[in-house]
Amino acid sequence: MTATNDPARGIDPRSPRFGAAITTVLLAATIVLTLIPATWTAGIVLLAVIVVFFAIGGIAGIRRHPYGALFRRLVRPRLGPPAELEAPEPPTFAQQVGLVITALALVLALVGVPYAAPVGAAIALVAAFLNAVFDVCIGCLLYVWLVRAGVFRQRSAV
Amino acid sequence: MTVAAAVAALVGVLALATALGLLLRARTGRARPTRTNDTRTTTTDPTTADLAPAEAFGTEATLVQFSTPTCARCPATRRQLDAVAAEHPGVTRLEIDLAERPELARRFAVMQTPTVLLLDRGRAVHTRFGGPPRPAELTAALDTALAATATTPGDESP
Repeated sequence: MTATNDPARGIDPRSPRFGAAITTVLLAATIVLTLIPATWTAGIVLLAVIVVFFAIGGIAGIRRHPYGALFRRLVRPRLGPPAELEAPEPPTFAQQVGLVITALALVLALVGVPYAAPVGAAIALVAAFLNAVFDVCIGCLLYVWLVRAGVFRQRSAV
Repeated sequence: MTVAAAVAALVGVLALATALGLLLRARTGRARPTRTNDTRTTTTDPTTADLAPAEAFGTEATLVQFSTPTCARCPATRRQLDAVAAEHPGVTRLEIDLAERPELARRFAVMQTPTVLLLDRGRAVHTRFGGPPRPAELTAALDTALAATATTPGDESP
């Protein structure tokens, strides 16, 4: 399934958690901004930026994510080498989940559904927060629920 | 909404996420015995016979690991179970990709990966672990399963 010990494929598992921490802060700001009428537009712009970042990570893959580049330049030089490398599929799947939730929230907010932006941001924030703080792996939970719901008829290459 | 109310809403979301994270952390990887003398057994054991060819099961016990392609913890759990199996003669490890066999996710009510089932000699589910098994609890459960005399009749014991 995965060649996790292959350095050419593996990623530093701390990199997606670092990215999730940034995402958590941005989503927290989105919630507050979109709940206050005077700053709603700024909040929507921020949400759109978050959608773009999730799209890069979910479509181009986690290794092309800008937060990953930031991690390699600023954080990794200050840390020791990782205990082990991880497969890129789990964090890429998490990015795709984030993309679906935030893009849906953005579209609903733009067509005028009240509280769509803060509610969508709150759902995404819970996932990003659990990932960043508790090292919860979204691909270990949600993927199985989708399998049980019959979403995947055949094995899909994520 | 006022600034204070918006910030209060954010604090509420963060509190919820923290509670969820603590709950997940407290529960993950714990041994859950399924063959206790507890009388409130509500479900009959799901069959394990078609998980793998007969020769793939251990003569003393079998560790069955359910995995998914998006599971960040599964490779480490695979190595952990291999090490445990190597220390105990007659114990083998099976790994099942739920993306390839989604019906098993429903049959065994898998809510996360990795989920590990410890099967006894008779291939009945002895203990279940949701998440990477805690090493001490896995060893204790395996010792219990190995110590128990074979109680399930009707199975060949090579």
